[in-house]
Amino acid sequence: MAKQRDRDDFRSQVEDRLEHLFQEDSPGATDEHVGLVEHPLKGLKAVMLSIDWEITDSTMDSLLNEIKNVEFIYSEDRIILTFLQLLGSIGRYVKANKGRAHPEATRLINSVYEALERVALTEGMSRSHKEKMLLEEVAKFKKLKEQVMLRKGEKQQPVVSEATPPPAPAWESEKIRGEGIPAREEEFPVRKEAYLETRPEGRFSEMSPHEAFAYALEEIKNVIRAEFRALRAEIKLWRESK
Amino acid sequence: MAIINLKKKEVQAKIVYYGPGRGGKTTNLEYIYKKFRNRIQTEMVTIKTHGDRTLFFDFLPIEIGRIKGYDIRIQLYTVPGQVKYESTRRLVLRGVDGIVFVADSLAVRRNENVLSLKSLTENLASYKKSISEIPLVFQYNKRDLLNEGIPLLPVEWLEKDLNSKLNAPSFEASALKGPKVVETMKKIIIMTIDSLRKDLT
Repeated sequence: MAKQRDRDDFRSQVEDRLEHLFQEDSPGATDEHVGLVEHPLKGLKAVMLSIDWEITDSTMDSLLNEIKNVEFIYSEDRIILTFLQLLGSIGRYVKANKGRAHPEATRLINSVYEALERVALTEGMSRSHKEKMLLEEVAKFKKLKEQVMLRKGEKQQPVVSEATPPPAPAWESEKIRGEGIPAREEEFPVRKEAYLETRPEGRFSEMSPHEAFAYALEEIKNVIRAEFRALRAEIKLWRESK
Repeated sequence: MAIINLKKKEVQAKIVYYGPGRGGKTTNLEYIYKKFRNRIQTEMVTIKTHGDRTLFFDFLPIEIGRIKGYDIRIQLYTVPGQVKYESTRRLVLRGVDGIVFVADSLAVRRNENVLSLKSLTENLASYKKSISEIPLVFQYNKRDLLNEGIPLLPVEWLEKDLNSKLNAPSFEASALKGPKVVETMKKIIIMTIDSLRKDLT
């Protein structure tokens, strides 16, 4: 009997302590924006939530299709449209690269969608606030683009060619309002861009012999570093699979 | 298995948040950590991977304090939800004292919930533990999406699919916004401490 009383007392003390530790000031944070019941973003949100990031073609196709639908609805709203173009660009990149896509890409796609939803649903949000939110996402996008470029540069041996450098990719020539947002398919840098980033000014054939040698030496070092990084990653994966 | 040091009068219990991928296990811990970090005064450890997914586990220690002379410490863990990390999930379950099963209320996730519960049952069995005996709480997460017109599983279906035989306490929650997150955690802590009481007397 005394033992039972002691146990009950113990339990009630635990309950009290938990109550004290985890007392909520305002249970259930209030959401300042309205719901999505009949909103044009409803379909897009459903797709975003349904996406399992063990990425498949069908989930990414659904996302891209839904973006197209919403783009049509918001064809007059420049800010929302730009958000959607950002989403589309990252979505196409993730679809093309799947498991090899940069880890930040999937994080960014969520971040862009969340910002888009806030902008679209928050009543009374000023245009400048919307633009600020957009620019934040654009900055993240640019950062990702650089990271992807860097990653490709690390993974692949730059092609040293005497050919004329390739023309600027689509995303360089078709910027939206000068913000660096891709409007076409080729939004993420490919191998040649990485090469152009690391290559010294001027063509290889125009370098003096010692400059060309120093450049080639640096490239070899980069390749060796990249190979070691790849090997370490392989060993880590192999250990994890054991 | 809880670590109970009768000499030092310390009790350390391990609670694991289990469930299908992207169901909200990490979000539960993040909510608790963000909301109460000033009070719990511990750090949350999280190891993420591709696309913000949990790679190994999340870990949030909570000091409950001294009760009846015992220092009570709770360790909250999550497992990675993705199918491919089965061995990691099993590893995290080693020595578990209580489980929160975070089910995803999205209609499209019905099958994943059932498969995840099956995997939990099997993984516990590998440690000679029965799901019907271990302290267990169900959390039906993402209920807030009902207001946004997203197709969700009715709670009755979730109960039937997952809890009809186990009859464990269950909560309709939104880990993202907070409702019932704390209640879920309090319930599992109390049930877990209750189950350990016999060793403390």
